[in-house]
Amino acid sequence: MTNSPAPPAASAEAVARLRRVAPALLLLVVLVVATLLQPGAGGLRLASPDRSHVDQLRRAIGDLPSEALVLIACDADLGTYAEIRAATRAAIEDLGAHGAQLAIVSFTPEGRAIAAAERDRIAHSGAEPPADLGFVAGAEAGLVRGVASIVPAAAEGPIFDAIRQRGGGIGAFDMVLIVSGSDISARSWVEQVGPRLPDLAMITIAPTFLDPELEPYLRSGQLDGLLATLREGTAYANAVTSGSPADRGPGIAPLPMLVGMLAALAALAEAASRRLTRRVRRLPRRRAS
Amino acid sequence: MNGFMGPDLAGTLATWVAALATIAVWSYLVGYRRLFVLSQHLLAGLATGYLVLLAIHDVLVPRLITPLIEHPRDHLLLLPALVLVGLLVGASWLPRRATAPVGAILVGGLAAFALGGAVVGTILPQIAAALPATAVASSDLAGEVISLAITTLVLLAFLHGAPRGALTVRAATVGRWLLIGGIGGWLGFLVVSRLSLLVDRLAFLLGDWLTVLR
Repeated sequence: MTNSPAPPAASAEAVARLRRVAPALLLLVVLVVATLLQPGAGGLRLASPDRSHVDQLRRAIGDLPSEALVLIACDADLGTYAEIRAATRAAIEDLGAHGAQLAIVSFTPEGRAIAAAERDRIAHSGAEPPADLGFVAGAEAGLVRGVASIVPAAAEGPIFDAIRQRGGGIGAFDMVLIVSGSDISARSWVEQVGPRLPDLAMITIAPTFLDPELEPYLRSGQLDGLLATLREGTAYANAVTSGSPADRGPGIAPLPMLVGMLAALAALAEAASRRLTRRVRRLPRRRAS
Repeated sequence: MNGFMGPDLAGTLATWVAALATIAVWSYLVGYRRLFVLSQHLLAGLATGYLVLLAIHDVLVPRLITPLIEHPRDHLLLLPALVLVGLLVGASWLPRRATAPVGAILVGGLAAFALGGAVVGTILPQIAAALPATAVASSDLAGEVISLAITTLVLLAFLHGAPRGALTVRAATVGRWLLIGGIGGWLGFLVVSRLSLLVDRLAFLLGDWLTVLR
């Protein structure tokens, strides 16, 4: 008895399917290998050589008075938080190292989930987590309401008392660190809180897609500091880590990033060459007609 | 190694759930849509449950119900808010005439905040920042002239419907290419951004889950 060969249509379909998924699988495998090889690629660095934004943000934090009240407005998106996680943790650490009294609040549900997870992480590491101001509903309206009152009625503790003594609203703080996301970003703060509290210092850490939106506010002086690309975030995290032994976990590894970017360039080149080839093939036909 | 999951049992369980969810989403890459759709439903269900809990635990109880029960006379303005909440909850059973004003108040209020903020917080300060502050020539005069030229050309690219001469058409074409170049540069940043998220997930799978990176 002999094995009958598979129907040709089914095998052609399997090959077509394999060809469809092969690029994605290949990219994943290459990235896995690059991630595994990363510890041996110590010469590669992701940090930006342009340190102007990093220096500006560090200067803003360095100018804080002793025991300054700093509000962390955590409204990052769950999907893009990984990009700014290292910089955010570095900023919290930096603020703590400057003796700031920290409180954390969220105006989006996703931001609240991240804020709660970050507070748990800090508490597990043995440090004092930022005072929890919870979730404020209403998006922009919530922000405006927070100018008048942001402390929950039931909250008790020295930081809450200090905020209440200074009026109980966002104006009680010396600075706001805005961890931006798509729904509530530094733009919302500049538009809603900035005109009401013009003396409030605002710095922000934002994912890359918000950079074109937020850069003008930095140039006009409405923001006192902005980190909005992976390279700036990495440079800032490195700058803070160099003076601190605290473990925030590793940032984004540069070798898989380099490999991924090369793959993206290869995909672009392949698409461009395919288009060019198609045009070149059409040329003789046009000439003939 | 994202630092969120501790070494205890709960952390280990969370790591496994996160790793399996990641793989379920990635199964779409190899054409297994069922796992992907399942993870989509899981995300939608969890998000809805989380939002309901957050609304009850962090908003309705502490900011509406508790003040009304403990000090009703001090919070008379919350009574209309309670009525609005009731109308929103019963929106699917109540007549449209009763619920439409509630939606209008919500949308109108948020739009007013957004519009007012955009004018006072963005448009006016940005115009002021773009104007020369002193009569003295800026140190970056060349940069400002280039910025003005690029802005003008890009604005010309959006000039639709108006009669245009040959020069304007050429300028608009240059503006369109400048616009495409700008968007291309931004997309390049976005590719790096999204790539970093993929690399982070890989590091999570290899480091936190399989522990081969430690």
